[in-house]
Amino acid sequence: MTRWIGPLLVAIAAAVLGWYGSLALATYGLMDVAMRRVAAEGGVNVMRHGALPTAENQPIVRPSPDLVYSSCAYDLSKGPVLIKITPAPDRYSSLSIFDARTDVVFVRNDQQAGGKPYQIILARTDQAVPKGAEVVRVDYDRGIALIRLLLRRSAEIGPLDPVRRQSSCQAL
Amino acid sequence: MAGKRRYIAGGCIGLVLGAGLAWYATGRAFKDGAVRNGPWSTSLNYGVASADALTRAAVARRGLLALPKTETVYWAATRDSAGALLDGSCTYRLSGKAVDSRWWSITLYDSQGYLQANSARLWSFSGATLTAEEAQKGWQVTIAPSRPRTGHWLPSLAGQPFELTLRMYNPGAQFMTSPGTADLPRLTKESCA
Repeated sequence: MTRWIGPLLVAIAAAVLGWYGSLALATYGLMDVAMRRVAAEGGVNVMRHGALPTAENQPIVRPSPDLVYSSCAYDLSKGPVLIKITPAPDRYSSLSIFDARTDVVFVRNDQQAGGKPYQIILARTDQAVPKGAEVVRVDYDRGIALIRLLLRRSAEIGPLDPVRRQSSCQAL
Repeated sequence: MAGKRRYIAGGCIGLVLGAGLAWYATGRAFKDGAVRNGPWSTSLNYGVASADALTRAAVARRGLLALPKTETVYWAATRDSAGALLDGSCTYRLSGKAVDSRWWSITLYDSQGYLQANSARLWSFSGATLTAEEAQKGWQVTIAPSRPRTGHWLPSLAGQPFELTLRMYNPGAQFMTSPGTADLPRLTKESCA
């Protein structure tokens, strides 16, 4: 019986390792897949304006069919990134910035922005940024900046599309 | 030699067990959160730095890019009010009043979290759909494979299980004081084919 104590302890340690390793793999791995998918359609540090989610268009799990998404896979390894936002009038929209481990490091909706255009600079802690700019510091080089824009009817995308395309993402 | 094999076997079994449990738990966590209200369940810990490893992985797997509760509360329903799994062959009545948030919607997904193809191209029902009378007196939606004679409809697929997600964007202050007892939509099974 005692000869199984050692293997049992190894099994318990391996189970803990398997548990936490799998959770980390799911978190970072799935986020990495999402970042690669976004970047594949327009490159990094570029705002890609997606179509309304439907059964045929679901770039990520659990998309909302009431929102159109604009997304930017950012990469700060070569320097900060500038994000410019123009909220559409009279409706919900928001900018959220996710880091590589899926945490939201910044979120601002249209009401919080007073319905007015604004811009932020995404940067690592040690990166220099222009004076006076609103800066969001992140702990990882890569992540996703996501704009959600509410459509009350799918036909609204016509008049709103030129507005959302004023929002952008670019390397400084 | 036999002793070494026991250690290797123990390590392999432990790894598989730990990974398997993680896979199972992340599949459950997003639709079986800590806060319950009728058929609805949520965690108020999505997207924040203080989230534990399980919540973070569950969100990555079942609701990637979810917003924190200050911006949006996501409720999931996989069972009706009687506790039975949601079945696309059955007819359900979803009813309620205006939800305490700036904007809300209820979306029907398959059991993996994706929109199901349907000829009506309808996947959600939202507060924007309500008439003034419905907003004041209450609303009702039929979830069924076939369009009802009257009223709002959210199509399901016969023979397919489904899930519902209730999104509350900019939830009200009163709701946030007690999400577990807030007035949320009710889900009742009416019949099954």
